Amino acid sequence: MLIPIFIVIGLCFLAFISYILWLVWAALTSPIPLPYNFKSVFVRWRSTAATIFGIALVVTVFILLNAMAAGLEKSSANTGDPRNVMIVRKGSTAESSSVITLEQFKLIRYLPQIARDDKGNPIISADLAVIISLPRRDGTGEANVTMRGVTPMGKALRPQVKLVSGRWFVPGKREAVISVKMARRFAETDIGQKFKTGGKELTVVGWFDAGDSAFDSEMWMDADEARSIFDRENYSSLLARLADTNDIASFTNRLETEKRMALRADFETKYYMEQTSTAGPIKFLGWFLAVAMSIGAVFAAMNTMYAAIGARTREIGTLRVLGFRRRVILASFNLEGAILSGIGGAIGCALALLTQWFCTAFNVHFGTLSFNTFSEVIFQFRITPALLVEGMIFAVVVGIVGSFFPAIRAARLPVIAALKAV
Amino acid sequence: MTLGTFIIKNALRNKRRATLSILSVAVSLFLLVLLLVALREITLPVEGAGAELRVAVRNKISIANLLPAKQLPIIQKIPGVAAVTPFTWFGGKYKGEQATFAQFAIDPKAMRGVFTELKMDPESYAAFENERDACIIGKITADKYKLKVGDKITLESTIYPATMDFKIVGIYAGTPDDRNMLFRQDYLNEAGGLDGQVGMWWLKVDSAKDMPRVIQAIDKAFENTSAEVRAESERAFQLSFISMWGNIKLLVGLICTAVIFTLLLVSASTMSMAVRERFRELAILKAIGFRRRELFAFILAESFGLAAAGAFIGVGGAYVLFTYGPIGKITFGYFPSFEVTSRIIGFSALIAALLGIVASIMPSIAVAKMSVTEGLKTLD
Repeated sequence: MLIPIFIVIGLCFLAFISYILWLVWAALTSPIPLPYNFKSVFVRWRSTAATIFGIALVVTVFILLNAMAAGLEKSSANTGDPRNVMIVRKGSTAESSSVITLEQFKLIRYLPQIARDDKGNPIISADLAVIISLPRRDGTGEANVTMRGVTPMGKALRPQVKLVSGRWFVPGKREAVISVKMARRFAETDIGQKFKTGGKELTVVGWFDAGDSAFDSEMWMDADEARSIFDRENYSSLLARLADTNDIASFTNRLETEKRMALRADFETKYYMEQTSTAGPIKFLGWFLAVAMSIGAVFAAMNTMYAAIGARTREIGTLRVLGFRRRVILASFNLEGAILSGIGGAIGCALALLTQWFCTAFNVHFGTLSFNTFSEVIFQFRITPALLVEGMIFAVVVGIVGSFFPAIRAARLPVIAALKAV
Repeated sequence: MTLGTFIIKNALRNKRRATLSILSVAVSLFLLVLLLVALREITLPVEGAGAELRVAVRNKISIANLLPAKQLPIIQKIPGVAAVTPFTWFGGKYKGEQATFAQFAIDPKAMRGVFTELKMDPESYAAFENERDACIIGKITADKYKLKVGDKITLESTIYPATMDFKIVGIYAGTPDDRNMLFRQDYLNEAGGLDGQVGMWWLKVDSAKDMPRVIQAIDKAFENTSAEVRAESERAFQLSFISMWGNIKLLVGLICTAVIFTLLLVSASTMSMAVRERFRELAILKAIGFRRRELFAFILAESFGLAAAGAFIGVGGAYVLFTYGPIGKITFGYFPSFEVTSRIIGFSALIAALLGIVASIMPSIAVAKMSVTEGLKTLD
């Protein structure tokens, strides 16, 4: 049942691709110069402008939604130091649901693969990740925030995090620092303000910036203090620096074969790179909307092209009389549709880029629930060159599909009748 | 020929254009309904019968923190509380992938008193109470994975270090979202090393007027303990999830606006095209004595008619598909229900009407401005 369908789809695709190739060839060799089509698009600018703009908006929606997904993925993929290994409990998908016991920490601490600092201490940090609920600044309710209890070593292992305002927390004084981007979204997080969690009052003493990494969606405090406030005996994860990154295989092997461990170790960068499930539905929405909207756009493009051809019936007749072949006319009008939608696509890309520029210039960030950490994740639009190319391809395909039937009509106009048309 | 038939004949004279215009309006309105429904579904949680008597109790730090099991007798003793069950998120992987259904550990006896709308045959209830590794699953999940009573399933938790085998003893229906899998808290305790902790408490109060007092009493009972709690009505609890979605609502709203705007633009241009095409005719009508407002009426009626036809196909199609179609399958299980409310239909119809009016403005101005001689001379 499925195989014939695949064959039909495959053949259609092949036919479409070869048609496009033929169009490209026609564009290069056409006896009707392209500027003729280009100018024609603008002659009837009033009716084409709306279609162009419609296609532009389809492309903008497509690019921006995918840019959101890319931003979400990037916010996580951008995280970590290539020399660091992250160790979590086997089977846990979020750091907050991972458990590392004190005993496990002691065993791993002195493994030979871990680098030492100048004092001879192993460079490893046992951190705690707790999800806490905080009220939003705009008063629309509460949301989950990842609170990381971090040791001084853990801070050193994450150099992406830089203080931008205030000071670092002092262990034992019930102090915390928060990402500046989170501080803009949550109430009671200005420097000097106090908030309550785990029955205790904490003071925000500093804001940090983590360079668009996953830590930008976090709040930090001292690890041991966090363990006492949140009543946790164990840690959530270990972050260690390898003396030699080539040792990763022997290191993970050591951890994973030992039965009492049941731990999973991997490069920190890889751990974060894999946390991308939040972006999936948004990507789906982006593609779905783009396809559905472009069906509407195809109708609009068809309308415009039919009208254009209707108005130029005499012109087409003249071209035929002058000796231009039917297929030349077909290619010419199909290319005109592609040019029309190409302009729309370019405007769409420009609009999307403008939106991104606006958000960057005015520090607009978005936040939503991450399916990986089950807490708020901060992200921004991230338009990649590939997305712009995809958007343009989308637009041009809409134009070619939308102008195909009108172009066929133009090519098949009877010469004499066309010349007589008013 | 009456005015009505004149307008209809005019609108359908260029059948291809009329069809394309109607279809582009229909596609856009279909999308609009789809987005509005999706937005409503993610921001307005479904509520089962009995929700107004239910209270959810979670750790005050956040929902991701556990509660001590020893809280149970204290909650049970609070006057007005009819039944209490633990409710622990298992976060299981099924066949190596994150399951598309949620799994919770509960107390099978107390559950009957708390989730009263859950319907299952008596043998299933009995088996659930007697067999330790028993579990029950919602009808949607059973259909999706072709599971039946007596089947065994294995789930690997992403929260606890546990991979557990379950035996399906019942398939339930009647809740607003029949997808969850429920199993026994005591079985989880034993297999997962969950020493005396549960995820949440769900309870039922005797009457709605008891609710505020019970909520207050629970919050108070655990104040200044190592596990402070937040008790709230089911509705308030569900609403707290919406706040977590953050800016997604805003962004989807913006996309809706872009869709509406595109639709207005394209259809308006189509309408102007239709009018411009027959400038000469309109000039003749003007010359033989039709007044401006009559011409306006022609244009408006035609544009309105096209928009209405598009709305009928687009909104009607969406309504039929979402109401009678296999919505779970279409949305890959993201949405259990996809209700097209009368408010959404009304809003979409309003947009269509607005579209009909806006689209006729530009051509009307052009017609009003044109002089008869000029109109007669146009070739376009």
